Amino acid sequence: MTTMGGNRTLTWLAVGLYWGCIVFGLVLPGIVMVTHEASRLHGGWAEAWQDYQLHLFAPGFNFFLIGILNAVPFVLLAIFILIHLGTAATKEPVIVSRRLTGVAVALAVAVGFSTWAHVVTVLHPDAQGALVYFFLPIYLLGLIPLGYAVGRGAGMLFFKKPAPPPDTA
Amino acid sequence: MTRKQIFLNLGGLVVLIGLLGLFYWQSTGERAVPAMTAALEDSDSKVRIGAAQMLAEIGPAATPAVPNLLNLALHDPVLYASTTAAGALSRIDLGAARQVMTANLAALQDPDVQNRRTACAMLGSLGPVAKPAVPALNTALDDEEETIRMHAVGALGEIGIPAALVVPALTRALHDKAPQVRHRALMQFAFLIPPTDSVLPHLKELAEDKTPNIATLAKSALNSPHRQGNQTVMYATMLQMGTVNDYTLRQLAQLGPAAAGAVPAVIPILSNERPLHRYLAAEILGAIGPGAKEAIPALTAALQDEDAVVRESVTEALLAIRPTDGTDRTTTQK
Repeated sequence: MTTMGGNRTLTWLAVGLYWGCIVFGLVLPGIVMVTHEASRLHGGWAEAWQDYQLHLFAPGFNFFLIGILNAVPFVLLAIFILIHLGTAATKEPVIVSRRLTGVAVALAVAVGFSTWAHVVTVLHPDAQGALVYFFLPIYLLGLIPLGYAVGRGAGMLFFKKPAPPPDTA
Repeated sequence: MTRKQIFLNLGGLVVLIGLLGLFYWQSTGERAVPAMTAALEDSDSKVRIGAAQMLAEIGPAATPAVPNLLNLALHDPVLYASTTAAGALSRIDLGAARQVMTANLAALQDPDVQNRRTACAMLGSLGPVAKPAVPALNTALDDEEETIRMHAVGALGEIGIPAALVVPALTRALHDKAPQVRHRALMQFAFLIPPTDSVLPHLKELAEDKTPNIATLAKSALNSPHRQGNQTVMYATMLQMGTVNDYTLRQLAQLGPAAAGAVPAVIPILSNERPLHRYLAAEILGAIGPGAKEAIPALTAALQDEDAVVRESVTEALLAIRPTDGTDRTTTQK
């Protein structure tokens, strides 16, 4: 077995973000829909949950498919986080910090954009609204690398490599 | 983090995907029928409606749910639940759908306006399966209540066949004294029923109507996509490419003899697993008439169809294709 690093905190962070990212991608559409339905029904959480379950596979709704579609970019991001942060412990601390900044911004972009898109879609439903669920994963697949690049760039500005010790010879 | 830890987490993801696939498999298709049948008895009408929609999507595999759907269609206090159940029955069991039709045909004569209105909505929700109800709905166009005439127009549009009866009835409704009824009739020609040449003068007249929304809708009907290009070729191509759905088949059934070019694409549908599709295929061939001669062997085989409504439609189609056939055989025997 090859040991890639011994930093337990980083390992737990990578694993936590990995599973958190996957679960968030899967359940976000459901959370938004149930919350919206419950607020529309003036607090009827049980009824909203039952309504959501009923439409999981219903023709014309298929909330299950919406959850799967939304999860695709989050799963890819999760795999990237697992490998990228999971193997970071072998690197210099400054590199770890830069990676963490990149991942944080990529996550913020994915979570923020996806949440915004789902909230807007349920608040302003129209005939073409469902197209959002097909195009959102495609947009996220473009935005996540962009977010990571921005975060990594910011990390390079914030976390400088320490200057090499002066040559005493 | 070790390689093993990484692979364990990736393996966990694979397991999760597998579990989601299993959940999907368990919740769809005929495996979902028992749960959906139970949901038809739920106290919440939304649950009952959702379950009926799911069963309609499942199709003939949902046959065990037919008694419950029939009960919902005939006795549910919520009209939308009843119409959804009736629509589901027309996709699962044509015989049961015809039972709903028979029950509602009598209600068209009910002295209570609400009951007559419900009967129109129910007959419309059955779609083309309620073809025998067309003459009664045609009579309902003379009802003294505007709302009944309007709903009868809607039902005729949803049933759509036979075009030879539906189109003249809807054309008559284009001149109803109530603007709402004229508007509803125009909607049928704009969106559901291909306007034939005999309808065009009436549509042109309404395009000059003083009521703006009627004039606009009449212009839409005149420019209806159903009148653009060769509809037969388009629908036949869709069938050959595997797009066999209620809409395509219904549109072809409404084209009548003009759909003769689609016969080779329609013949295989006589052995489709869905009784509604087999029924519509027989209706298309019957509406084409003598131009569908090459379908006679397939139609003859379809006389053994397990569904009585399909067999009835096949018999009618054979008579329409070779109307003198029975007489000839009798003469030969003599």
